[in-house]
Amino acid sequence: MTQAITLRLITRQAGGGEIVRTRRIDTGEALIGRAPGCDIHLPDLAVDMEHALLRALGQGRVSIESLTGEPFQVGGKPALRVELDAANAQVVSFGAYELVFSLGAEDDVVVTVLRREDDYHPTPSLFSLKASVFGRRRMAWTLGLAILALCLILPIAGAAWFRNSHIHPDQQWSTGPLSKAHAFLDKDCQACHQKAFVAVRDTACLSCHQSGRDPAIQAASDARVTGLGSPFLPLLMSDHAAHAKLIRAMPPPPTITGKVAGVFQMALDHPRDRCASCHREHTTAPPDPNVPKTADVVRPGKPALIVVTDCAGCHSRLKMRLPSTGLIDTPDWNRHPDFRPLVTVGFDGPQPRLQRISVTQHPLEANGLTFSHRVHMSATGGVARQGEVLGAAKGYGAALTCQSCHRPDGGGFKPIEMERDCGACHSLAFAGGPGNLQTLRHHDMRNILGVLRGSLTPANGPHVDPAVLRRAMAPGGLCVDCHTIRPSGGPFGAEISPVHLADRVLPWGDFNHGVAAHAGVGAGAAACADCHKAAASDRTQDFLIEGVATCRACHGKTEHETPAFAGAQCSECHSFHQPGEAPRTGQDRLFTALGLPAGEKPRGLPTLGPQAP
Amino acid sequence: MAAARGKTQRRRTATHESFLRHGRFLFLRAALILCASAITAYILQKPLPRPGGGTALGYVLGTVGALLIVWLALLGIRKRAISAGHYSLKAWVSAHVYLGLSLIVVATLHTGFQFGWNVHTLAYGLMLLVIVSGAVGVWAYATLPRTLSDNRGETTRKQMLAQIASLDEQILEAAQPLSRANADIVRLSLEETDLGGGFWRRLLARYGDCANGRALSQIGAALRGASDREAVALAKVEDLMQRKAEALALARRQMHITAMLEAWLFVHVPATFALLAALTAHIVSVFLYW
Repeated sequence: MTQAITLRLITRQAGGGEIVRTRRIDTGEALIGRAPGCDIHLPDLAVDMEHALLRALGQGRVSIESLTGEPFQVGGKPALRVELDAANAQVVSFGAYELVFSLGAEDDVVVTVLRREDDYHPTPSLFSLKASVFGRRRMAWTLGLAILALCLILPIAGAAWFRNSHIHPDQQWSTGPLSKAHAFLDKDCQACHQKAFVAVRDTACLSCHQSGRDPAIQAASDARVTGLGSPFLPLLMSDHAAHAKLIRAMPPPPTITGKVAGVFQMALDHPRDRCASCHREHTTAPPDPNVPKTADVVRPGKPALIVVTDCAGCHSRLKMRLPSTGLIDTPDWNRHPDFRPLVTVGFDGPQPRLQRISVTQHPLEANGLTFSHRVHMSATGGVARQGEVLGAAKGYGAALTCQSCHRPDGGGFKPIEMERDCGACHSLAFAGGPGNLQTLRHHDMRNILGVLRGSLTPANGPHVDPAVLRRAMAPGGLCVDCHTIRPSGGPFGAEISPVHLADRVLPWGDFNHGVAAHAGVGAGAAACADCHKAAASDRTQDFLIEGVATCRACHGKTEHETPAFAGAQCSECHSFHQPGEAPRTGQDRLFTALGLPAGEKPRGLPTLGPQAP
Repeated sequence: MAAARGKTQRRRTATHESFLRHGRFLFLRAALILCASAITAYILQKPLPRPGGGTALGYVLGTVGALLIVWLALLGIRKRAISAGHYSLKAWVSAHVYLGLSLIVVATLHTGFQFGWNVHTLAYGLMLLVIVSGAVGVWAYATLPRTLSDNRGETTRKQMLAQIASLDEQILEAAQPLSRANADIVRLSLEETDLGGGFWRRLLARYGDCANGRALSQIGAALRGASDREAVALAKVEDLMQRKAEALALARRQMHITAMLEAWLFVHVPATFALLAALTAHIVSVFLYW
């Protein structure tokens, strides 16, 4: 017997609720399709006109077979023919329609036909862009948090992780590249930025640049810097003066903006006397080389060495701000005070007594010698004749020149040594006895005294009557030719005065005797006699240094005034960081570097660069 | 009564005055004074070694700039708060626009024209992105609402959607007698038509590959080979799809204009968040590695 099919067509209404229409098909066959005449009419364009045939097979079983070769869906899979047990509540889909099978109460198969409702109902919000991209807020938070994580948290928290890595997240914080000298520290921010939220302090700079350290400590420091990759050794810096004095000596900022800047520096804990106050890193020098003034080489690059206050800034009214200073105010080169050399004015026991006396006061020196430059430098006379007699083989051959006794050594001279510089003429030989010509060892005072006193044994020296010593120190005696004899409470009633020949008489300025313009080489150059009136000096006491006016003959002059025109900057003679020396130029350093043995690194950057303006 | 009329009058005036002209350009003048002051100070300063964020003026401009950025960003919160005054939000927007534009001068002078591949320039770049996107927003708000209104005429957006849905139903109805091949053409229009599309499609109004359009182009050929009965249905469907294309075009123009009106905010708001993060990193890093 053919099993009947009961169709239940469920139509959902727009306002909710359903309409259910039921129809019974007793033939046991139902045509499924889009055509209006089909038993199961599915008005869906995905369904063919007469798409499939449903047959009740009895025992609650049904078959569905495609009539057009187009598939339908059974449990989500395409099929052309299927047999089902209606009791299993199977679902067969045609387009948007679902056929749900079940067993009816009257031994019939119930087919419930439902239309799958589309959940998508466009609303006016579809017109907004929000409908097409993910939310602005999510995008905003994602971006913000990502930047915070990558640019702030990673460099702080990840510092330890990346220590030995090629990537250093904190490099993104660098405001600019470091100078060539410091480029090797590019990835080690904390070499200089040692304490968080504290501006770079001098201790960071001095860990490499401190001068006057124990040689072993200095060597270790140099080795550390070399190990870090520095192409040369750090320049060593001395304090210009005590920091407390420097601060008091510095003038207040002259302009309103300077004062405002000062307030900011105070408020932001940026002391003005730090190394970093003048030496700026992570920046490029401004295009105009005249702004700012720099004390050293200016390159259109980095770092910029800025002058917070120049020499004159402190030294023009220094006495007013720092009453205890012994320095005379020097507002500019034209008002540079005259030289005040350190003059040996006498002796306290064996120690020389030194005093700064201005050359305008015509200081007299008491160096313990008796010497006439005029006699020695005369082109005629006994000394000149002696020079001729000694001949060129012994380094003479004519009247004496300055260099006969003052032997150049770099920018200065070798200290005078009696035996080398005077001994060729002033022989210390004497007759120790018949046919026994002896030479006193001038540099060995104990020997001389011993010999002259006759206290030395015959094997070591001649036995001489003590009266010889008295005669030597008496007027016209051997010693008196050159030495000052002073009264003494000793057994001879007189003694030879100590001798002090200063290597430098102007210890706070640098004068390089080696440069051409100071050595008489070239047009307008100064010769020795221009600064030292030795040829006219008869007395040892004459202090043979001319005043600052002699320097002004070239320094501060233009090329129209003298062919040997030279600069008038303080740095011509005075270095801030090496008091008593002139700053070394890039050229100086290059020449020093070239003269070093292979493999040895120069101290400081050996580059050529334009001179400071 | 008179008082009530006065108030009404005032409201109307307020409504007609744009945020750009608010208070006789009060905030434009404020912004110009700020810029002029910054430029004057920049010219007068003697920065060592060169202008930048680390000079006294650099710190001042940096502080002003950072405070401005934070305050400008607060508009996002302020606009959500309903307050009593009639003009307050408009005043805020006016100030937001002009003071925001003045940031270009303040922040650029703060940098001293020193830029590099670092977090500091990132913050500056993001700030410019925010300002430029904001300027696009000002232009959009000043011009597009009228275009939007002209486009839709008397039709509401809801009506546009309803019209398309109704046409779809009619097409489905009309297509019932069609064979599978022709029905598939119709299904293309019914099932594949994407009204809006993604961000760029809306912004650039690129709908050349619209499924309804493709269906329309195929239906002509189908008509030529169709039987009489099919041809009648196809002709009806073609007519309906033509009407649907017009309805789609109207709705899509509306979406395109709306997209242009809204797109800048999709840059402005996320870039603002990114800027606030980069600004924090800039300030913290500068003082951490001082």
